[in-house]
Order: sequence, then C-alpha cells, then structure tokens
Amino acid sequence: MTEITLSRKPSTAQADASALQAKAKLTARNLNFYYGDFKAINDVNFDVAEKCVTSLIGPSGCGKSTLLRIFNRIYSIYPGMRAEGQATLDGENVLDPKYSLNKLRSKIGMVFQKPVPFPMTIFNNISYGIGHYESLSKADMNNRVEEALRQAALWDEVKDKLGQSALGLSGGQQQRLCIARAVALKPEVILFDEPTSALDPIATGKIEQLFAELKQHFTILIVTHNMQQAARCSDFTAFMYLGELVEFGVTETMFTKPTKQQTEDYITGRFG
Amino acid sequence: MATKAENLYFRRSVMNAFAMLLSLSAAVIGLFFLGWILWTTFSKGLPALSWSLFTTTTAPPGEPGGLANALVGSLVLCLSAVLWATPVGIAAGTYLAEYANHTKRGEVIRFVNDILLSAPSIVLGLFIYTIIVRPMESFSAYAGVIALGFIVLPVVVRTTDEMLRLVPTQMREAALSLGVPQWKVTTNVLYRAARSGITTGVLLGLARISGETAPLIFTNTNNQYWSFSPNSPMANLPMTIYEYSKSPFEDWQQLAWAGALLITLFVLLVSVTARIILLRNRVQND
Amino acid sequence: MGNNEHIVKSFDSELQRLHGEIQRMGEIAISQLDASVDVLQRRDSDAARRVVANDDAIDALEHEVSNDVLRLLALRQPMARDLREVYAALRISSDIERIGDYAANVAKRSMVLNQGAPVSLAHGLPILAKLANSLVKESLTAYANRDADAAKAVRDRDAELDMQYTALFRELLTYMAEDPKQITPCTHLLFMAKNIERIGDHATNIAENTWFLVHGETLTEGREKRDLTSQ
Repeated sequence: MTEITLSRKPSTAQADASALQAKAKLTARNLNFYYGDFKAINDVNFDVAEKCVTSLIGPSGCGKSTLLRIFNRIYSIYPGMRAEGQATLDGENVLDPKYSLNKLRSKIGMVFQKPVPFPMTIFNNISYGIGHYESLSKADMNNRVEEALRQAALWDEVKDKLGQSALGLSGGQQQRLCIARAVALKPEVILFDEPTSALDPIATGKIEQLFAELKQHFTILIVTHNMQQAARCSDFTAFMYLGELVEFGVTETMFTKPTKQQTEDYITGRFG
Repeated sequence: MATKAENLYFRRSVMNAFAMLLSLSAAVIGLFFLGWILWTTFSKGLPALSWSLFTTTTAPPGEPGGLANALVGSLVLCLSAVLWATPVGIAAGTYLAEYANHTKRGEVIRFVNDILLSAPSIVLGLFIYTIIVRPMESFSAYAGVIALGFIVLPVVVRTTDEMLRLVPTQMREAALSLGVPQWKVTTNVLYRAARSGITTGVLLGLARISGETAPLIFTNTNNQYWSFSPNSPMANLPMTIYEYSKSPFEDWQQLAWAGALLITLFVLLVSVTARIILLRNRVQND
Repeated sequence: MGNNEHIVKSFDSELQRLHGEIQRMGEIAISQLDASVDVLQRRDSDAARRVVANDDAIDALEHEVSNDVLRLLALRQPMARDLREVYAALRISSDIERIGDYAANVAKRSMVLNQGAPVSLAHGLPILAKLANSLVKESLTAYANRDADAAKAVRDRDAELDMQYTALFRELLTYMAEDPKQITPCTHLLFMAKNIERIGDHATNIAENTWFLVHGETLTEGREKRDLTSQ
C-alpha cells in the first residue's frame, strides 16, 4: 500500500496573502472631500488592486459614493464641491488640474445606480462614446459594438434589435447596456455606484456573474449598500463610516474575523 | 368613544359632499360657458365656410370675397415668430437648466420670464410700437413678428427649462463620464431626451399666438391686399375678424364668424398634436 | 428556469470543490479501512504503520473542509438546498475523520497484537471489519449520489453490525474468563471491535445526514440499537 499524498490547492488564506501583493491601480492618499464647508471624507488612505474587485460598504451617508466619484472627478460639474489630497491612477494624481479630464474619463468608466440608457438606438448608445474618441469605419464600429455587448453578456439578447430604442429594454438589460457603454471605451478601471440596487435578484445575479468575467480585463471598484453582495463578489472590501475608512482588507477575512469592533458591529447588524 | 368617531366621520363626509358640490358647480359653470362659446362659433361659422374662403382675397363689402390673404398672412406671421423665438427660447432655457440651475441669477431670470409669460399682450404690442414702429415711422410685418415672438419666447424658455430639468442628473453624469464635453452632452443627449417636451412647448406657443390681436393692432395693423413684403403691414386673420365684426355689413360679419371658427379649429389641431406627441413619449419611456 | 447552475458560476465551483474534498476524504477512508482489514488478516506491522501515517491526510482534508464551509457560509449566504449541502458537508466530513481515526486505532492495536502469539478469536474481527467497511462504502455512495433511499438502507443494516459486535463481545468475555493468559490480547481485541462498531455508527450518521440533505427533515423512526453489551 502506498503513501497517500495530499495535493490540493492551497487554502484560501494563503492565496489571499499573495493577492495582497497585487499591484495597486488606484490609490488614495490623505484624501479629503468637502461639500461647501461640510467635510464628507476625512483623510482616507487605501489602494485598489489591479484586475480585482474591491467593494466599499458602510451605512448611508458614510461617504462611500462620494469617495467613488472622486476618482473620475464627476463632482467637478457641481459648484462648491472640492477634493484635497491625492488620488492616483497608475501613479499619476488625477486631482491635478493639469491631468486632462478627457484622458481621465477614457481610462476610468462609471456605471450608475439608475440604468440611464441614452434616448437613442441600442447601437448608437454604444457607438456614441466610441465615436467621440475615434473615427472608425462602419465595419470596425460594428465589431467594437458587438465586442462591448458580448463583454456585458447582452449580445445574444439584443443582436437582432440593435436598431431599436434602448428604452424598450428591461431594467436589467438597460443596466447591462450601460455597462457595455462603459466597457466600449476600453477603460482600465470601471467604477460602479450601487449598480444593482434598482434591479431584481435575477438581474442582480447576472450582473454579479459579469463582475467575475469583467475583472479579468478591468480593475473594478464597487459601492454597495448590500454587504452580502460585497461578500459574494469582491476580492477586497473597505468599510467606511462617517467619512473615514475604518477597515480595509481581504473580503474573506473582513467577513469572518474583522479586526475593528465597528466593522464587526456593522457586519453583524448590531449598529446603533 | 365610538360615537365620537362616528360624529367626526359624519361631519367630514358632509363637508366632503359640500366641497364636491361646489367644485362640480364651478366645473359645470365653466364648461357651460365654454360650450356656449363653442356652439355659437360653430353654428355661426359653419354655414359661412366655403372653398372660396381659401381662394379669394379680402374684398370691399358687397363684392364676393374670401380670407385667403388673411389666412396666408397669419400663417407667415405666426411661423416667422416661432422661427425666431424658438432658438432663442431653447438657448435661454438651456442656460437656465444647465448652467444657471440653483443659482441666484437663474432664479431671477426665471422670475422675469414668468412675468413676461403673463404680461398682457397689448402691453407687448405697445412696447414694440414704441421701439420699432415709431423710429421706423411705419407699421410693418417685422414689428408684428417681433411682438408675436415675444409672446412665444417665454413659453419656450419655460418649457425647455422644465423639460431639461426633468432629465435625470444621472444621464448627464453618464454622458460626461464617457468623456464627452458639456456642449455635446447637451445637444446630443439632453435635447434628445427632452425633445418631445420642447416640441410641445413650441406648439403651445404657436397655438397661443394664432389668435392674438392686440399686439398686431399696434405693430402690424392689417392689409387688404395680397402683399407679403415684411416692411409693410401684412394681412392677418385676427385683425380681419376684428374689423369685419365691427362693420355693419352682413357678408363681412359672416366672414368674421368663419374666420373665428378657423382659428378655433387651428388651435384645436395644434393642441391635439401636442398631446399626441407627449403621450407617445410617455408610453415609450417605460 | 430549468438550469441547475447558479447564475454566479463561482458559487458552483466552490460547491464542487467542497464535494471533491469530501469525496477524496471518503476514498482515503475506505482504503484505510480495507488496509486495516488486510493488516488484521496478514499480521503485517509495516502496513499498519503506513495506515497510521496516512491518517494525517484525512485530518488535513477535514481542516480544509471546515475552512471552505466557513467561507461558503460567510460569503455566499447559501439557502435551502445549498444550505443543507454545506451543513451536511460539515457533519459528514467530521464523521469521515472519526472513521479514519478509528481505522488508524485498529491498525495501531493490531501492531501491538502482532507482537504476541496469534489469538484464535482474532478471526472474528476481519468479518466485523468487512461489514463495517461495506456500511461505510454504501453510505458514501449514497451521499455521492444524493440517494436518500440507499442511505436509509444503510441505517437499517447498522443493526446487523451491532448484533455481530455483541456476539463477539460475549465470546471474548467467555474466552477471557476461561483462560486468564488471554486477557491482554482479548482486551485489545475488545477495543478494536468497539472501534469497528463505532465506525458503523459513524457510517449511519453519514447516511442520516444524507437523508436530511435530500429531504430537509431528520429520519424520525428510531435507530435500532442492537448493541446490547451495556445491558
């Protein structure tokens, strides 16, 4: 009788430790954010690992959406909002006024809570953004649109009705269209602001499956008020409270043995 | 305790019935007079309708005449007014909704616009008379078009402003996140989203000016002939009706009724079109 | 909606991993049991030593299963059948681990036995062990196939094992009473027999957990306990 050897994949704790060595795609250093005089984000420091899914959780008003929206400077259209500190993409500070907004938004895409397809045909929804940056031949544009729709797992459902108005799609399909729209520009990072809170469980499931596929090509940062979603989908989780980053770590560790009492209270539903 | 609640309920239902009665009566009274006006217009105007109305120009009393030049003239005046007021109105509405939203300046502009919206049209007529007709030393279609345009303008501004503000902010942000510049977002995305609302506003403005007489009295007056030079008065329907109805001539009075009916029908047509556009958009949107 | 896969495919792969671990545990446990029967029949102490060493493999797998179950519960919030699967996996892995321990204990004691002269009654043990082994194999097969009826059948057969154990127990007592020089080896045999009987009980546990997994209820009819040695 021979020796029985144990050959299995290493346990998850070891795998995650190596994941922590992953390169940081986005970083925040001493980040502060103000709505007028109100300080919404207080001295936040953390890293978003490349080609991983990171989620931001926390109670309402903790600043997670605010933090997300700093990275593509979408707050700049509103007067009275300003950010201080450093938010870097590949080492370059995106908050620097010299960093072109156009370049920033081609590298960082965003998907919002409410599915907002443009009032155009499905095809035009996708080609609109592409057409702004590149002038492609008809065939090339068709290919790009198809590729984007495939990446968003929507191609099979809409390939026969590309010429129809996007407003005729269901909620879940519209949200996947918005994802396709963001993906079409071939960004490096995609920000999701509560992407499934307006959708039913099945549509939510499809989008969560999409995260697993998308993270092979893009770095993903999600804000969600549903911490079970963060547990299901993300590799890393950050817990925020009242504008501060309380804890950040590997998702499995955060949800099985968080280090801070506040985190544990929030996760177990003991929050006052 | 139970009877106290019952008493209260009884009192409330009595009040409810009373209020219902009052509002019904108000509606009935309003509808009654509206019905009467429409009935009179139809019954007097319908017999006067004939093909010659559309083919013959206005003629002195006694001679067979029609309203052809007045109709065409009205159309030209109204469409020209809409033509200049619409782009200006849309631009102003866009400025209010996109750039001056939530600012003091924006609030002030909106307020002034609302005043202009409810300004008596005769005041507008007098205003144009003073600044255009007097220096030019003649009545003209130009002045008429400008005056009528000032009636359409606040309607378009208001509608554009409201429709653009109805577009969810997230659509703006979504378009901006793609890296598209602000002006392109406004023209490609926002206008398209607010398209039907803005069109409705324009149509309603058109419906309003098609029957306006007072501004034309001071700016354009009227013209008996088939003349469409902008520097001189142009024939138009409201003023023709005004003149004809004041006159003692039977055939002119008949033509006046026919003209009134035509204006009513035109306003009805435009309003129904506006409604259809709005409804179609609402159905599509969900 | 006839698709049996989860929409989020990584959930399926994590459940598969869990099942694979248990299957592997089962395979190792069964080969351990077969090996220890062998050891009894052939009095091979080297083989016995190998059996003891290989018990670490089962322990390590049980550890993995625990970690994976904890992870699944925390991160996936399994419901209904998924929840019962994860729960059953936890219980069953613990039972298999005990089965492995008992098999190793039997091997250890047989090493001690082999140092002395062969005992005539030792022949009763392999028969007991083969019966226990078949119970374990059947219960693991029932689990692998999620076959609740096969699981119920295992539970009923445990009574047979208990009866044989009781008979062997009485025989050994009689033997010890007749010949005091045989007390030491017989005591070892007693313990080994008890371990094998416990293996049968754990196989029955696995069967009951499989029934729960499939039906969501525990088997209410009382388990027949024919182990009358305590009476």
